[in-house]
Amino acid sequence: MTLPARDPGKVVAAVSPAFEGLFRAEYARVVGIAHRVLADQAEAEDVAQDVFLSFFRGHPANAPYARAWLHAATAHAALNALRGRDRRSRREAAQAVPLEATAAEDPVVTVVASETREEVRAVLARLPERSAAMLALRYAGLSYAEIAAALDVRASSVGTLLRRAEDAFRRELR
Amino acid sequence: MNDTKIEQALGTAEPRVNTDDALARFQARVQAEGIAPVASVARPRVTSRWLQGLAAAAGVVIVASALTFSGVAGSILQIFEPKTLVAVPITQGDLNYLGQACAGLNLQECMGGYGTFEWTTPPQPKEVTSRSQASAQAGFAVQAPTSVPSSVTGDPRYGVINKSAATFTFSADSTKQTAARQNRTAPPLPANIDGSKLFITGGPAVVQIWGAPSSTATSPGQANPIPTLIVGQAKAPTVSSDGITVDELRGYLLSQPGISPQLAAALRAIGDPSSTLPVPVPAELAVSHPVTVQGVQGLFIGDNTGIAGAVIWQKDGMMFEVIGSFTESQAIAIANSMR
Repeated sequence: MTLPARDPGKVVAAVSPAFEGLFRAEYARVVGIAHRVLADQAEAEDVAQDVFLSFFRGHPANAPYARAWLHAATAHAALNALRGRDRRSRREAAQAVPLEATAAEDPVVTVVASETREEVRAVLARLPERSAAMLALRYAGLSYAEIAAALDVRASSVGTLLRRAEDAFRRELR
Repeated sequence: MNDTKIEQALGTAEPRVNTDDALARFQARVQAEGIAPVASVARPRVTSRWLQGLAAAAGVVIVASALTFSGVAGSILQIFEPKTLVAVPITQGDLNYLGQACAGLNLQECMGGYGTFEWTTPPQPKEVTSRSQASAQAGFAVQAPTSVPSSVTGDPRYGVINKSAATFTFSADSTKQTAARQNRTAPPLPANIDGSKLFITGGPAVVQIWGAPSSTATSPGQANPIPTLIVGQAKAPTVSSDGITVDELRGYLLSQPGISPQLAAALRAIGDPSSTLPVPVPAELAVSHPVTVQGVQGLFIGDNTGIAGAVIWQKDGMMFEVIGSFTESQAIAIANSMR
């Protein structure tokens, strides 16, 4: 569900300055993680809203683990949303987003790329949860330290775990 | 496929977000749904649920160990180190009795009523990626089963808990106040127990889990799978005292209102409490009996449905456990294959 946007100036503040600061600092990153998984901006923003709401309900804005929690919860929530999609809506979402890597205007290239994108999302949905989350976080631009904090693993293990996740991803994509 | 191609495969156009609009939508939703934030006191980081479970289990074992006392008075003397295990049936009646005694207090408050429990080195579980790392961090050779049933597949996850230590200081004042809050009269705390200390150690411990939940941080709406096999190995816990008359202490604790006469009698019946770890077994739900494992006497515990079983044994100063959805013979075979 996406609520209609309102003029920010007309909304009475319902959240603390600390939470607003957290939201402003992390919203784009959270949407980016969800977008890597879902390839659909509207759906990614819905996931981001839900994740921030879950955090708001249960955690103080100044919690030292806030960013890590948001990153992990976003990856898991987006993967859950991905698995919940039916095949048709997944195809529609894939076709709705242009590829930056194949920014050709040739419609044949675009269709092929969209089919690839759909398969990629299907592979992500099939991978073990931690592997898929690790890929989503890494390719959304998080550092090894940020991934370690989000997934509660040692930073020195992230490289190994990431390679395993990439290997599993390649095997599934064949 | 190289990293660049994975990047392309997972790549999507970076979303252009309008954070102001998003924040406005969020504020509107919070107001419309009347959602209140939590208080601004930061809670500790929520770590992996299964690791939290390990920490809780380790804490329970360490605290439970402190309930078994024997030995003689002295300066700092070790009064408990398990060498054998014995099942102590805990009935629903015992649990009800404990619940009434604590009168709605949580377990920590209930235990705290007798004195002060402080972790000097708290258990801090963490995950490592291999058996060799687990051995290195625990400081002992981690054993693993060389043969498992076909239902157990994949690689295990490894959790390590550091050697933990705690001190419990008995307090007559705390005991009186707790009893007064509950409108009860506690048996008087002998003067030589008031202020005396117990030094409790547990671990290091290593847990290997097959089929462990793969998610780590809290994940909204996600169900965790049930592990297929759990193998635990730990240095045996110890309890030392700074000079308590232990028979007095044992008698005093066993007469507390939280322990039913039946349970106290079962605990008193243990032949050598200085070296026997009582393992609580839910009497209505599980069966237990001694078994021979790795050439020593251990304990098999199974639920009455036959779908879950555990084997626990102690050998060479280490405690071991194998837990999973196994029959007794399967559980013992796994235990005997540990190398």
